[in-house]
Amino acid sequence: MNAQPKVTRREFVVTALATTGALIIGLSEEGVAAQAQITPWDKTNPAGSLEFSPWLCIEPDDTVLVRVTTPEIGNGVMTQACAFVMEELGCSWDKIKPEFASTNRDYLNNGIYSQVQGNISYFAGRSTAENRMDTYMKVAASARERLKLAAAEQWGVKSEDIAAEEGRLIHAASKRSMRFGEALSRAARVRLEHEPRPKDRSQWTFLGKKSPGKVQIPLIVNGSAIYGMDVRLPDMVYAAVKLAPVHGGQLQSFDADRVKKMPGVLAVVAVKPNEPNASLKSPFPMGFSQAGQGVAVIAEHYWQARTGLEALHVEWNDGPGGRWKSTAQVNQALLQATQRTGGKPEKLLGDAQGAFKGNSRIVEATYHTPYCEHAAMEPLNGTALVTPDRVDVWHPSQHSQMGSFVAADEAGVSPEKVFFHQPYVGGGFGRRIFGNDVRTVVAVAKQFPGRPVHVIWSREETTRQGRYRAAMALKAKACLGTDGLPVGLIARASGGPGFSVAGLADTALMGVIPNIEVYSEVVPLHILTGPYRGPGYNSNAFMVETFIDECAHAAGRDPLEYRIKLYGKWPDTGWVKCLEEVRKKSGWGAPLPKGQGWGVGVANWGMRGKADAGTTVATVAKVEVSRDGVLKILQLDIAFDTGRIMNADAVRVELEGGTIFGLNMTLNEELTIRNGQIVEGNFDTYPMLRTADVPRSIGVHFGGLTDNPRYNEIGEPPAGSVGPAVGNAIFAAIGKRLRATPFRKEDLRWG
Amino acid sequence: MSVFLEINGTAHQVEADPSTPLLWVLRDYIGLTGTKYGCGIAQCGACTVHIEGHPIRSCQYPLSSAAGQKITTIEGLSPDSTHPLQKIWVDMNVPQCGYCQSGMLMAAAALLKQKPKPTDEDIDRYVNNICRCGTYPRVRAAIHRAARLTNEESQS
Repeated sequence: MNAQPKVTRREFVVTALATTGALIIGLSEEGVAAQAQITPWDKTNPAGSLEFSPWLCIEPDDTVLVRVTTPEIGNGVMTQACAFVMEELGCSWDKIKPEFASTNRDYLNNGIYSQVQGNISYFAGRSTAENRMDTYMKVAASARERLKLAAAEQWGVKSEDIAAEEGRLIHAASKRSMRFGEALSRAARVRLEHEPRPKDRSQWTFLGKKSPGKVQIPLIVNGSAIYGMDVRLPDMVYAAVKLAPVHGGQLQSFDADRVKKMPGVLAVVAVKPNEPNASLKSPFPMGFSQAGQGVAVIAEHYWQARTGLEALHVEWNDGPGGRWKSTAQVNQALLQATQRTGGKPEKLLGDAQGAFKGNSRIVEATYHTPYCEHAAMEPLNGTALVTPDRVDVWHPSQHSQMGSFVAADEAGVSPEKVFFHQPYVGGGFGRRIFGNDVRTVVAVAKQFPGRPVHVIWSREETTRQGRYRAAMALKAKACLGTDGLPVGLIARASGGPGFSVAGLADTALMGVIPNIEVYSEVVPLHILTGPYRGPGYNSNAFMVETFIDECAHAAGRDPLEYRIKLYGKWPDTGWVKCLEEVRKKSGWGAPLPKGQGWGVGVANWGMRGKADAGTTVATVAKVEVSRDGVLKILQLDIAFDTGRIMNADAVRVELEGGTIFGLNMTLNEELTIRNGQIVEGNFDTYPMLRTADVPRSIGVHFGGLTDNPRYNEIGEPPAGSVGPAVGNAIFAAIGKRLRATPFRKEDLRWG
Repeated sequence: MSVFLEINGTAHQVEADPSTPLLWVLRDYIGLTGTKYGCGIAQCGACTVHIEGHPIRSCQYPLSSAAGQKITTIEGLSPDSTHPLQKIWVDMNVPQCGYCQSGMLMAAAALLKQKPKPTDEDIDRYVNNICRCGTYPRVRAAIHRAARLTNEESQS
């Protein structure tokens, strides 16, 4: 059984930073009794330990505590932080214990953690960002040199003659050695004349060479990893929550009398969160954390709270969102907006109108992608304990610093009174960044002060109260030159609030067509949106890469060869390299029986209009469509260019997962709207691919890497290229062009 | 109502409404949080446990039906994380966020018990849990590897 974590009342005691030369010894033996050091709780420094920097602390038993700012959502950020330290410190891998860095300490100590990366410091984003890497490696190199000097002083030898290996300090000439833990008290007094420079990449022995698996997996396989949902605290109560079913609606009334008498029910409360305080200096604008109105039933156990909530009669005021009666009405508004002219200019190059004059080789099409829900396996939840002195929050956040500010704002206390305990996160995909879920949790818990309140959204509530990928549409029109490649492009994008043209107006396509006009228009829909595994990018990648395929077919060219010619004009060689690699490894173009087809898609997430930036992914799909319209994905191959990589298997995992995520998005996902409400609630109506539905293996190929000096993100990029690859393969197989997702709603019968 | 349960070899007496799903009894009354809530409608399989050795989705299994039965949760799959699947899961870096993996492991363990050499079709059919991170290819490969390892060990 899990150890019950205690609420610690001790804060960190910090006097100075190691990099200025002054050091402190850990002061307290008090901490949280955890079953493993990598359980994610704030804790004080262990007795006798030495904190070399707020980022790094070594214990007398040689345990190396690595403070990690980024929540672990399954992408391996925690493991990568450990890998940076491993490279420089000379410790042993199994002695490294990551723990989440306190946001409270960060606030009190002028941003000791958050200064490194600004507003995304506490965000579970890219683990390999340069400044994050640099910080860990400098800190670890500094600690290593201090330990060596401590041993040198004790033995009366030169520190250059001492090696740090596997957690030991070794003087080979005299055959003496000691453990790191034995050198701590002397190391605390060491003054370095110069801080050492981290190793050059050519000297690395761990980064890029080894592929450690995620450090938390041993806790996952026996059920002891603590996710937000698993937080258990003394005197904890549970709340089931329901928010206004039409986003932006208001709570009108509810009749709590009967529910209050139900077994275990302690309270029935209205949830009316504060308007966000825009003047707070939070990492993202506080307005992003706005949360809806609703009701919550608080009980001794969750099932009692849930049963009570289901029995509660609530009246809502739907507000303006109620006028959107159907999905058809929403889609029509989006498509109509693409047919208008003008709007917000997103990209203007050359003379697009002029390029079309006298050119009869025109390709024109309109595309559409729907609202999609993140559907992380861990439903939304969080726990808060509000007392007069302080607010403690245990929350599966993707941004614990943002969550801390939101908790302070909603509880009406100064941020220094908030203690944010970051557990593991059962999937994020962008849903848990801005803290609107934290706001709801605190809005409930503050009405039941003195006891920790664990607030749980049901799966249905999680689905219907999302911050979705925005629905969008695109009308694209190109004219082709005599070589078949586009010479002019006129495109108009539309979408609900929050949609973006990332993946369209900032991609390589803008650099390979001389005459371009891209405009956009926002349609004032009420549905709430947010980042979803590459905001904007995955929708635009689908539309752009389907359109390019249509251009290739209009030009009578092989679609993959066409892209090599087209993107060969772009200075970033990674595009062509990925296409050539995936062509070779997939067996592209081999003759196929009727009803089967090859398709390709290539896209880049993160380039922001620049060459040698972001991550490029090319995906080839081989599909089969039966005569009665059943689609089967036979084969998927991927080549990618992140520049360089740190951990080959971590990259492979993310490419597999991101591809399956993108495949699900394309084949299955659509939220529909009735009377302003989201219709789908659970996996019976919002289906997910399962083991049987995906190819038995996904070919991940490394030959697209350019060795450009960057280590770009890998989670989002594959979610963009797989959808168009599959759609284009379906066209090759049966001649039907799919211009909207999800494909499961299309009739694919043929013959 | 007071109900007797045997969970991972330990006797428990639970005071709860008999209609309470076993999932929430395990999580909130017993404190075994390894069994996860994902959907509540027996779709995703994150809540899979074994009852008398058979895999069931505990979110749709009322406490009254579990009375007196032998229940195994992820915490009881092995005493020290040495079930072949647990070892290979670590070795092959299978989980991503990990939230669904207790259920995956319990479904896979039940399959191996019944079919020590499962085919791909067996895995498709019996390990049909939902994983949003997309660990499916690794789950499949890991089950096959665990089966090979177990069969080799039993022959030697």
